[in-house]
Amino acid sequence: MIAEKIKIVAYYTFKEILKSKVLLNVFFMGLGLMLVTYVATEFTYGVPHRITLDVGLGVLSLSSLAISLFLGVTLLSKEIDSRTVYMVVARPVPRYAFIMGKVIGLMGIQVINVILLTLTTFIITIILGGEFTPLIFWTIGFILLESLLLLLVVVMISLLANTILSTLLSIIILLLGHSIKDAQNLTLVKTQPFLQKLLDFYHFVLPGFYKFNLKDYVIYKASVPSSYLFATLSYGTIYSLFLCTIIIFLFNKKNLD
Amino acid sequence: MIKFHNVTKIFKSDLLTQPFVALNDVTFDIPDGSMVGFLGANGAGKTTSLKIIMDFIRPTSGEVLFSESLGKNKMDIFKNIGFLPERPYFYPTLTGYDFLKFMGQLSGLDQKTIETEITRWAPIFKIDYALKRELKTYSKGMLQRVGFMTTILHHPKIIILDEPLSGLDPIGRKELKDVIIQVHKEGKTVFFSSHIVPDIEEICDRVIFLKEGKLVYDGSVSSLMKKAKVQDYFISAIVPQEIEFKTNLKKCTQLPDQLKKFVVSENDRHSLITELISNGCNIVSVEMQKVSLEEIFYNSKGDL
Repeated sequence: MIAEKIKIVAYYTFKEILKSKVLLNVFFMGLGLMLVTYVATEFTYGVPHRITLDVGLGVLSLSSLAISLFLGVTLLSKEIDSRTVYMVVARPVPRYAFIMGKVIGLMGIQVINVILLTLTTFIITIILGGEFTPLIFWTIGFILLESLLLLLVVVMISLLANTILSTLLSIIILLLGHSIKDAQNLTLVKTQPFLQKLLDFYHFVLPGFYKFNLKDYVIYKASVPSSYLFATLSYGTIYSLFLCTIIIFLFNKKNLD
Repeated sequence: MIKFHNVTKIFKSDLLTQPFVALNDVTFDIPDGSMVGFLGANGAGKTTSLKIIMDFIRPTSGEVLFSESLGKNKMDIFKNIGFLPERPYFYPTLTGYDFLKFMGQLSGLDQKTIETEITRWAPIFKIDYALKRELKTYSKGMLQRVGFMTTILHHPKIIILDEPLSGLDPIGRKELKDVIIQVHKEGKTVFFSSHIVPDIEEICDRVIFLKEGKLVYDGSVSSLMKKAKVQDYFISAIVPQEIEFKTNLKKCTQLPDQLKKFVVSENDRHSLITELISNGCNIVSVEMQKVSLEEIFYNSKGDL
């Protein structure tokens, strides 16, 4: 019953975003990818497919994160500001079903975006004589997981702050999440116990986005231990569930005025 | 059916701002089968009250109680409520049909029932011709009609409407009022807020009047009208010659063709009529001054 309500909200969220022409970015990203590939074939010798794969995965990652950030930040605030939320929560729909439906609907758009850009990258890479290891599927899965995690972070912050502040904070958390490991390895940090503890605490509490980045391993055909892959998958899943719980708690408490 | 019990709502956005009391110990109830108008000027606390009833915001103190006939838990209760917010906005890229389907599905209706209900109501709301168009192309009146349709699609027992008639043209207002009357006749309880007094006077049998967050009046419209203290009479007569009237006249206006219009109090009307007849004047009309709910509302100082 409740799953049905989540499905309905997700379906119409997906439909609404799809009609807002957000997937036009796939066209422009694909076009950019082909352009870069053409340039790469002119200036690189022997490894244009590697450049294609590198740029393709980069574009895929950037585009997914951008969707999470810019659509996620208004996913709820737009509903509240325009009062469309009243039309839904005035019906027999629990608030958690509404918010989860919105998140799932937006993730549906992410999946379509990733599939289309992945296919574009694959086709160009194959045309240029490149080949893939199975790790490519983990890499793409992790890009999706990272964008889900960022989306949940953005939605959570947007329940507490306004749109501009939420965007800024989310970008900061994303950047820190990618650089925290490198920062922990800095000599300056290692020689300062307080700083080290601070970063350890940050690393423990806030999402470590760097964990999901497998692009270099794919491009250079390096192997990644399966234990790392499953540990990261578990980390992303548990962290996402944790964020969902906080989001549901906050949204249940929120005054919709 | 719904009891709004000792509700106080205080808004305080941050530490530096003064708290604002939007509702101050307000109590009223909405009985089964009634048509209740919720009256008050802008900022009186009407929308805040409705948001508390619908659990969009929580009261600072007090509670909202629903009778068991509506359901035992929130989900059952909300199945039996149709709510239309003030100035509703909808998903602009959805078509009218998709939006109605969306709302119907959320209310637990199956596809067949949704189709039946849309087919039944769309012509009544005169929106059937536009259901395949995206909502962003709709006028305000059309959006209001679609919004209203979503509130009754699932056969709720009570309909709660926040300013449903504001911003509509006279024809649109008349049509929506007719639908409100129709659904009320079908046995539904209707509770709607408005700051447009004649609308409430026209269709409601009971009125709840808020002023600056306080309940000023809760009772029948007719009782409120009877409370009006102004009871003047307008008497028109053809007066061929100048007369020195002994009756205490509040006002006397000379009109064309020797016609005069007098305003007298209830106590003086008989003596004026007698005086006019004895002076050979022809009385054209005698009518009591009608006091509208609007006048009572705007003249009140919170003493109803």
